[in-house]
Amino acid sequence: MGIEWERIIELWPEIQVAFYQTLIMIGISLGVALVIGLPLGILLFITDRGLFWENRPVNSVIGFIVNIVRSIPFIILLVALIPLTQLITGTTIGPVAASVSLSVAAIPFFARIVETALRDIDKGVIEAAIAVGATPWMIIKDVLLPEAKASLIQGITLTVISLIAYSAMAGVVGGGGIGDLAIRFGYYRYDNTIMIVTVVILIVLVQLIQQAGDFTAKKLDKR
Amino acid sequence: MIQIEQLSKTYQTKHGTVKGVDDVTLEVKTGEIFGIVGYSGAGKSSLIRCINLLERPTSGTVKVGGQDLTKLRGDGLRKARLKIGMIFQHFYLISQKTVAENISFALRAAGTPSKKIGPRVDELLEMVGLSDKRGVYPAQLSGGQKQRVGIARALANDPAVLLCDEATSALDPNTTLSILRLLKDINRKLNITIVLITHEMNVVKEICDRMAVMQSGRVIEEGRVYDIFADPKTALTKEFISSVVSFNVPEEILKKCDGTIVKVLFKGEVAGDGIISDMLQSYPVKGNFLHGAIEYIQELPLGIFVMELKGAQADVSQAIHYLEQREAIVEVMDHGN
Repeated sequence: MGIEWERIIELWPEIQVAFYQTLIMIGISLGVALVIGLPLGILLFITDRGLFWENRPVNSVIGFIVNIVRSIPFIILLVALIPLTQLITGTTIGPVAASVSLSVAAIPFFARIVETALRDIDKGVIEAAIAVGATPWMIIKDVLLPEAKASLIQGITLTVISLIAYSAMAGVVGGGGIGDLAIRFGYYRYDNTIMIVTVVILIVLVQLIQQAGDFTAKKLDKR
Repeated sequence: MIQIEQLSKTYQTKHGTVKGVDDVTLEVKTGEIFGIVGYSGAGKSSLIRCINLLERPTSGTVKVGGQDLTKLRGDGLRKARLKIGMIFQHFYLISQKTVAENISFALRAAGTPSKKIGPRVDELLEMVGLSDKRGVYPAQLSGGQKQRVGIARALANDPAVLLCDEATSALDPNTTLSILRLLKDINRKLNITIVLITHEMNVVKEICDRMAVMQSGRVIEEGRVYDIFADPKTALTKEFISSVVSFNVPEEILKKCDGTIVKVLFKGEVAGDGIISDMLQSYPVKGNFLHGAIEYIQELPLGIFVMELKGAQADVSQAIHYLEQREAIVEVMDHGN
């Protein structure tokens, strides 16, 4: 299973396209996960027992939906959401279409991460803010988010890396991307060179993201 | 300033209901420093947290400045809390915000115009002696400094009341003293009513005007700190007092004594009046000091002496009677042989 350099050069344009597709998928789904998952995670936390927006029904309903989406295997979600994808993007193939399912999977994933990060905050700090007469919005903006900042960044890192793994499956619906390239060439066609190259690209990508995440989290933490 | 009436707080646990606070009625007057003492689990923490409704009482009412807080919810309660500052054992500062940001957080909660926030923060920092720590994060501060930031935050919106939840329990003795002095200073300068809970009797002795002792959710003793130190009624209060004012004479010494052992207590002005020497000169009784000190509580002297009186039984009785006439409180600990 040697590496054929000519093969890499030959397929280089395709690798570039795949890399670009991966970035699109991750970018869109991460964006959606942040925009929807973050408030959802905050809502999960503050509606929980003993917190300032305690609301058992809301908490249970959101928790239940989050669990349902999280229990569906991604590959099934991918297929099941084809009608929704068609509705939103007007197509069912390509990286943008694949981003719909990736987003749906990433939202509850990230919401739970947010909830866990918020749970790690000392309850006393939240209580002190309540005692000072802060509004719920101030508590979210000035206590919860800053105090959980470092673990939220770690959570975003985790979400991005999970999305990279999920995006490999996007090939099933013609989503493209690096992972898809690895499966199509490396797995289906026994093209070791392409498989190794794509896997190396993925390894480097994951390493870089993890390091960037760790660095940022550490840099921003004032403790 | 604060009226607590028939306040109870029960908690539901796996093992049934637990009474945290059991039918407590207390009044704290404007401008005084009121101490609530008790061991952990006595309910003092629940009680103080019921004052600003961090915990909602199961029954009873809490009035602060005439307003019944138990009737308030949501935004009304939030606005009432602006006028009730609170500091905590573990400070609870926002670790990701600077000292100045932690204080301005409280000011913003009250809707202070942003122009006024900066100068007010400076003013508060000056008051707590941390003007040079404006841009520093809490992690870089010592415990005492963190508590000063906590105090500045609590005072930001000119509250009428300051609640102190074991505010010095995590600090070393010197720092405790400096924080207590700061609290006393604030109390005098701003006429803020302070309620503090503690398990350390020296905190009460140092700064409180009046105090209550709590046990199993109930207030078992209440009064002026000086009076309670002079004449504690319950065993628990005596125990607490002995932790700061101890007059235990070693057994070995007591065994050697064959006279009557008495504990004599002088209150206020009479403490240094030479009453004992008067007595010894007036009666054919010999006196041996076994222990003694004059404690200053709120700058009022409280003299406590343990002594052995030797002489004829009748003379000793008369000597004791004489002391009592001179307004000393005499407790006979042992009648001797």
